[in-house]
Amino acid sequence: MSEVPRSGWVAWLEQRINLTEIFSFLTHFGFVYTPIDTTRPLSEVTRELARQPIPTYARWPRVLGLFAAILFALEVVTGVLLAYYYRPTVDAAFDSTRTIVRDLPLGWFIHQLHAWGAWLLVLVVVVRLLRLFWDGLYRAPRELLWWCAVAMAWLVLQSDFTGKLLTWDSRAYWAAVRGMEVVFALPVVGPVMAFLLGGRVINDDVLIRFYVLHAMVLPVGFAAFLYLTFASLRRVGLGTETLAPATKVTSFREHLYGMWIMTTVMFGLLASLAVVLPFRFGSAADPYSTPSGVRPPWYMLAPYAVIEGGPGPRWVLGLFLLAVAFAVLLLPLWAPRFAPDRLDRRSRIAGIAAFALWIALSVAGALMEGR
Amino acid sequence: MSEPSPSAEPATTGPTTRRGFLTVLTRAFLGLWGLGVAGAIGVYLRPPEHGSRVAERMVRVGLLENLKVGEALLVRHSDSPFYVVRLDATQVVALSAVCTHVRCILGFDRERKTLTCPCHDGRFDLAGRVLSGPPPRPLASYTVSVRAGEIFVQL
Repeated sequence: MSEVPRSGWVAWLEQRINLTEIFSFLTHFGFVYTPIDTTRPLSEVTRELARQPIPTYARWPRVLGLFAAILFALEVVTGVLLAYYYRPTVDAAFDSTRTIVRDLPLGWFIHQLHAWGAWLLVLVVVVRLLRLFWDGLYRAPRELLWWCAVAMAWLVLQSDFTGKLLTWDSRAYWAAVRGMEVVFALPVVGPVMAFLLGGRVINDDVLIRFYVLHAMVLPVGFAAFLYLTFASLRRVGLGTETLAPATKVTSFREHLYGMWIMTTVMFGLLASLAVVLPFRFGSAADPYSTPSGVRPPWYMLAPYAVIEGGPGPRWVLGLFLLAVAFAVLLLPLWAPRFAPDRLDRRSRIAGIAAFALWIALSVAGALMEGR
Repeated sequence: MSEPSPSAEPATTGPTTRRGFLTVLTRAFLGLWGLGVAGAIGVYLRPPEHGSRVAERMVRVGLLENLKVGEALLVRHSDSPFYVVRLDATQVVALSAVCTHVRCILGFDRERKTLTCPCHDGRFDLAGRVLSGPPPRPLASYTVSVRAGEIFVQL
């Protein structure tokens, strides 16, 4: 290497500690896709990394995984800020939330960022599942990736569901009640969930469990699966080499810039949504009076439609829903493993049909509420 | 992409070139954003003041006849607990019960007529003056008024 005399604080630090060694821990997370020579200075290593070629097709779809990670980080930061003032008891939940939203400087913004971030995160993990399915990334050697994606989607939906109740806003409260009705209708899973959530009636015991699940258990699980995702990405890659060989090659630097731009755009969108279309925070929930027109959260409308409107007894319908959930989770086991193009097209068509059915059922569930 | 030759080096870096200027500008904006976010989080995190109105600072302590001469009563009033001490038939004083040293709650020593801190053995007399020990300031004393046989303390 040419000996360019370096100056600045990086060089100052580098004479004292091995920055490259510290930086190289990023390779564990799969952010950096190459072994790193820790005996060389950091600037050389990063310069080389930036020039590393990667296929163009890996750029844009990958943004979904990045969004999941960044939105999760945003939820953690805003969630911690909210937790400084929030008190999870039936008596204090609404009052403390109102203090945050109304009295604290910028409290409303942090609250709205948390709410809209959660909304976007739900969207991102669901779309990410669709994307992984579309590109056949559930097949060997990427089964772990698929399982992580399913687990992350499940955890995000659980977080969204448990978080809705916490504000004790009237509509959020009753949406949670309607959602619990769907969950508890499932055989086996329903009683287990009722046991884990502390009962079927929402009181102090249930609220504190919702809070602990929302603020501790589920985020830790999500972080673990996020780590597994990035770590396995490093091994198996996200390219669909068998389907579309890369025609163009871009550099890692450009890849990072693209992600940086998308992240900025996403934050801009998030801040705009928080200001322009704030979530409603209305009146305190009264457990003795149900407002009209509450419905389960949107992602629960399809199972709701099946449970309420399907033919047959409820436990049979519940079993059917469980079977569908497990079929999605175990997709790598029964989907064609070595797929030539023809088979692949067939599974894509099946996926589109299933997605269309899901949307139709969701619409049906929403209309059932209108009655 | 290629390694810049040593002679080209001074021309492409430094604040006077277009690239250098844009770099400085970008970093400045990123820094401003960082400051903004830190400031926003800072104002949010600043503990809210639980300021009380004048009416709430008038504390009703109890009947004068229930407080014997030479006795003291500890009033557990939110952030500012205080002692009400009856000196003689008519004279009643009110003193903060919070030691000015490290905010321990003082105890009343009936024999010596002092307030004594259990943490570092600081002592105050019933006018709030420091008698001994580490407390840096005298105790705050409050105005006491007796109306219709009832003791009121103005915090």
